[in-house]
Amino acid sequence: MTVPILRELITAPAPGLDLRRHYGHFQSPAIRAGGLIFCSGMIPVDPHTGERLHGTLTSEAHVIFGNLKLLLESAGSSLDRLVQVHALIYDSIEYDVLNRVYRQYVAGGPPARTVWSAQIEAGFKVQLDVIAAA
Amino acid sequence: MSLPREVITAPLPGIGATRAFDQPASVAVRGGAFVFVSGLTAFDPATGAAIRGTTSSETRQILENLELILEAAGSSLDRVLKVNVLLHSMLEAPNMNEIYARFFPEPPPARTVCGARLPDGVKVMIECTALASDDGR
Repeated sequence: MTVPILRELITAPAPGLDLRRHYGHFQSPAIRAGGLIFCSGMIPVDPHTGERLHGTLTSEAHVIFGNLKLLLESAGSSLDRLVQVHALIYDSIEYDVLNRVYRQYVAGGPPARTVWSAQIEAGFKVQLDVIAAA
Repeated sequence: MSLPREVITAPLPGIGATRAFDQPASVAVRGGAFVFVSGLTAFDPATGAAIRGTTSSETRQILENLELILEAAGSSLDRVLKVNVLLHSMLEAPNMNEIYARFFPEPPPARTVCGARLPDGVKVMIECTALASDDGR
């Protein structure tokens, strides 16, 4: 028997995380399908107001992981269930700085990860693009 | 039990043109319930000739080709889960977003947009992951 696989919208668990409402990005916060959760690129915004929180790579990464935790837990998943992470940073010289923060949030068996430097929207220093097990 | 893995045959001759350039990539691969589509740049689906235009026109061409590829794989734009968009400059993000919004139904897929150094004067590159079919086969 084939089990139907639905494509299910994960709505923003806090008003600030609806980037479409705040910034007009034509994207959903996350989509669940086939036992996986595909998250849109996470940027450091205040989860209550949607205000952009520019800072150091460290401070931005802490905000992003906090938001990602809210989003995944609202969808019945968690940071422990990440399977793939694309970490975009503004300059590869900050690779070790990213790792210091990153380790605090992926304590157990860490997910597959690729890090590269890219131009990130609104001049942010880091953006995380993740897939988690539902 | 291993998941089925199937390389998707290009629906038009131009879409298979990556072979002609000796790229070690398939245009799309189905794995289990998912279809993974390679990063697409703007090209003529009939001839494979590269098309260089504005961010808007390249976005439109890419999404038209993406629709053909997904249909060849038994999927469609309304079954796309996640899209990654690479732009030559983030200043162009609103131009891409405007065209992009015309192609995808509600609710739109999850998406990540970032600026990147793209090869050969390309302004936009788009890759995606989609559900293979409604019933997951």
